[in-house]
Amino acid sequence: MNIGLRRWGLTAFSLLIVALLPYLTGNLYQLHILTLIAVYWILIAGLNMVVGFTGLLSIGHVGLLAIGAYAFSILAGQHSMDPFLALALAGVMGAICGLLLGLPSLRLPGFYFAMVTLAFALIVNELSLAQKGLTGGGTGLSVPSFPGALVTPWGYYWFVAAIAVAVTWLSWNIAHRMWGRALISVRDSEVAAAALGVPIYRCKLIVFIFSGFTAGIAGALFASLQSYITPETFVFELGLFFFVCIIIGGRGSIVGPLIGTIILTALPEIVAPLARLSNFFYGALLLLVVLILPEGISNLAVIIRERVRRGEDTENLIEPDTQRLRAAIRSRRTP
Amino acid sequence: MSTLRADTISKHFGGVHALRNVTLDVRRGEIHGLIGPNGSGKTTLLNLLLGYYRTNAGRILIDDVDLTRASVQARASHGIARTFQQPRLLGALSVLDNAMLGQWTNTAAGFLEACLALPRVHREERQAREHARELLYGVGLGQIIDRRAHLLEHAEQRFLEIARGLVMQPHFLLLDEPAGGLTEHEIEALGEIVTAVRDCNIGVLIVEHHTDFVFRICDRVTALNLGSVLAHGVPKEVRSDEELIRVYLGA
Repeated sequence: MNIGLRRWGLTAFSLLIVALLPYLTGNLYQLHILTLIAVYWILIAGLNMVVGFTGLLSIGHVGLLAIGAYAFSILAGQHSMDPFLALALAGVMGAICGLLLGLPSLRLPGFYFAMVTLAFALIVNELSLAQKGLTGGGTGLSVPSFPGALVTPWGYYWFVAAIAVAVTWLSWNIAHRMWGRALISVRDSEVAAAALGVPIYRCKLIVFIFSGFTAGIAGALFASLQSYITPETFVFELGLFFFVCIIIGGRGSIVGPLIGTIILTALPEIVAPLARLSNFFYGALLLLVVLILPEGISNLAVIIRERVRRGEDTENLIEPDTQRLRAAIRSRRTP
Repeated sequence: MSTLRADTISKHFGGVHALRNVTLDVRRGEIHGLIGPNGSGKTTLLNLLLGYYRTNAGRILIDDVDLTRASVQARASHGIARTFQQPRLLGALSVLDNAMLGQWTNTAAGFLEACLALPRVHREERQAREHARELLYGVGLGQIIDRRAHLLEHAEQRFLEIARGLVMQPHFLLLDEPAGGLTEHEIEALGEIVTAVRDCNIGVLIVEHHTDFVFRICDRVTALNLGSVLAHGVPKEVRSDEELIRVYLGA
C-alpha cells in the first residue's frame, strides 16, 4: 500500500510540474523547446516499446514522423479538414505505414531489420522531395495551427503535454503488465517466449503498429509546431536521435528514455555553445553511456542497490512446501 | 485419462537417423523417465514433442488431437509446459514477473485492452500474481520473489522454471535434465516437487542422466539407444534389462 501511495504521490507531483512548466519558463523560445520535448516524447514513448522493450533496432522512425506530418499538413492545410480529425488520421496513417513496414521486415534478424528501417526513412525523404504536387517538394508546405485557445504557445503546450501524458499512460499500461513481460521475453529470449506460448512475430507487429500510431500523432503535432515543413526537417539524424534517447535512457524503462529525451533535446539548446556541436554532443554522450553505463541511466539505481545488497544475501536453502504447492496447482485447475 | 503420445515417429538429419519408429506416451498423473546414453535421441525426441523439429514419419498426439504440425506456441496452449537444460529466464525481470509470464496462454485481454487498462486486465493480472506467488512459495522460492532473476543461484533458476511452467496450468510438464548441477539436498527437493505435481494429475516427462533419481521417482521409464526404444516399463524391469545395463547403466 505504501508503495502504491508513493507512486500516486509521485505521479500527481509530476503532472503538476508538467502543467505548471509554462509559468516557470522565461520566454517563448523556452516554451517552444518544452513543447518540442513533449512532441518528441510522444514518438519516443511509442518507439520505446519497440526498441527498449521488444529489442527491435528501429532507427527509421523519422520516416513515420514525416508521414504523420505530411498527412496532417495536406489534410488540414490543403483540404481544410478539421485539425483534430486530421490529427487522428495522421495517427492512423502512421499505424498503417508501421504495419506495411513491419509486415515484411520484422522477421529479419536485428541488424537487417535496422537496415530496412534506415532505407525506409531515406525513401520517405526522397519521396517527399519528389512528389511536388503532394508535398510541395523542396519548397515544402505551410502547416495550419489548431484553432481556438490552442493558437497561443501556452495553449498548444498544454494540448501537446496532455497527449504526451496520455501516451505515457498507455505505454505504462503495456510495460507493467502481461504484455510488457511478453515483449521483454521476445527481446531477451525468443526460445523461452515461444515455449510460453508468446506469438513472437505478432507481438513485434502489434507493438510496431502502436509505435507507428504515436509517430504519426507526433508528426502532426510537430508539423503544426514548426508551422512550415520541408523534407530537410526530417533528416535521417533525427531518427538516430530518437533511438539514442532510448539507449541513453536505458532499455526496459519508461522514465529513463523520458529523461534521455529531455536531456538530449534541451541541453544543446540551453547551453548555447553546444548548439553548433549538438551531433558531437550526442555522440560523446552515447559513447559515455555505452562504455560506463551500458544499461542506461534508468538502471543505475537498480544496479547500485543490487551491488550493495549482494553482500547481505544469505544462502537460501530451497525448502519446498508441497502442501502449498498442491493447493496452488489445484486452485486453478480445470479438470 | 489423457495422454501425450509420440506415435511411431522417425526423424533423420540428412543421412543420420536420430530416431527410428519410437513410440512413447506420457499419461497425466504419472512421472515418466526418459534415459539413454548421449546421442541416443532423447533431446531429439523432446524437441519433436515440443515442436522445434518436424517428424519425418509418425505423429504427435494429445489423445485424439494431432499436434504433429502444430507450432511451439500452439503446443504451449494445448497444455504442454517445459523447462530447459540451461535455464532460460528473463534476467532483467523479478522472480515473480518471470513466473507470471507463464500465465500468457491463459490471458484473454488483448493489446488494446491492456493499453487502456480495462477492468479485465486488472482482474487477470491479480489472478496471475496470486497464483504465481503461491506456486513460488510452493517450490521454495517465496523468500526471493522480488529478486531480479539474473542474480539467482543455479538451483533457484531451475526451480523458478518449474514454477513458471506450472503457472501455465499445464497438463504435461517436460523437464530437460532437471537434476543437472543440483546438490543432493536440492535433488531431494526436486523429487518432492515433481511428486506433488504428479499427484495433481499432471503428466511429467523427465529427460535425465541421473538414473538413480529417475528410477527412484518415476512410475515408468523409457530407455533409448541409437534412436530406438531399448526398454520400457516400470523402473524395476527397465533397471534389470541386460542390454541396457551393457550399453548404459553398467554393472
